[in-house]
Amino acid sequence: MSKHSALDTFGRSGNPAFRDHFEGTASNEDTRLSGVMTLEGAVNKTGILLALCFSSAAVTWNIPNTGLMIGGAIVGLILGLVTIFNPRQAAKLAPLYALAQGLFLGGITVIFESQYPGIAVQAIGLTFGTLASLLICYKTGLIKPTENFKLMLVSATSGIFLLYMVNIVMMAFGGGEGIGFIHSNGIMGIGFSLVVVAIAALNLVLDFDFIEQGAEQGIPKYMEWYGAFSLMVTLIWLYLEILRLLAKIRSN
Amino acid sequence: MTIPAITVDANTLIFGLLAVVSLGIFFNLGKFKASKSQTEREDRIDWSVRKYSFSTYFRGCLISGLGIFLIFSLLGYLGFN
Repeated sequence: MSKHSALDTFGRSGNPAFRDHFEGTASNEDTRLSGVMTLEGAVNKTGILLALCFSSAAVTWNIPNTGLMIGGAIVGLILGLVTIFNPRQAAKLAPLYALAQGLFLGGITVIFESQYPGIAVQAIGLTFGTLASLLICYKTGLIKPTENFKLMLVSATSGIFLLYMVNIVMMAFGGGEGIGFIHSNGIMGIGFSLVVVAIAALNLVLDFDFIEQGAEQGIPKYMEWYGAFSLMVTLIWLYLEILRLLAKIRSN
Repeated sequence: MTIPAITVDANTLIFGLLAVVSLGIFFNLGKFKASKSQTEREDRIDWSVRKYSFSTYFRGCLISGLGIFLIFSLLGYLGFN
């Protein structure tokens, strides 16, 4: 019988990343061999991933190369998807993911920076500012993530993903400019970007809670890399959305 | 030999400082446990189980996507551009 009554009612999580790690039953061998997840370990690994991302971003920042940028985006996407379904491999895949995404971010930032000088440092400052603010809100208990919070946030995030996909299909096959308000730099466009930035930022709270509970419950050490990876995915999304928002505001 | 003057504009200074301070907060505060009001409550997320079914999340995704689309399209139709 599980210690969680909900486990018996609803069954285990469908997310392969979380299943088998939090209950401890399937991971006893892993924890015995590698140790358990700690907050310090997850934070340090996030630092390593950020450093890797910044170093590869410096390459495409200094030597702008479209091929390298698009290649980084595609490889990063593939590595991200593989990591989501293979948390045990996160220690190997997450650094590669950070390097690949860095190539993409460096390239895209140069494009924005050439149009709106100073936008890069603004976006970086606001991204890390949001990270620190939400960490304080989470640690102090100002924002308390619940199951309903998670449901709303996952729904909103996937809803935005759906809109982006429809937009891409419309742009590819419709010949037009897709869904107007996504690209517009008017009130609607800025309002939409603000909504997306808010949702991306709140995803950080879910990442903090995942890491906090993982450390509390002593899940295997390799999940430190997974926690750091999920934080990186959210930070990269947040950075890109802030970049878009600032560009829309400054283009007026 | 003349050393080139390093010029930092206000934009770089303010946002650069914000980034450095924020990272400092993250690397320090991140290593501490959350407060009791956060960790000792009944309604915490249980990451080992899926409380809501896949269809609930799927419905949520469709409602959110459609909802955002309709709200912004309606506001655009009403003249908020």
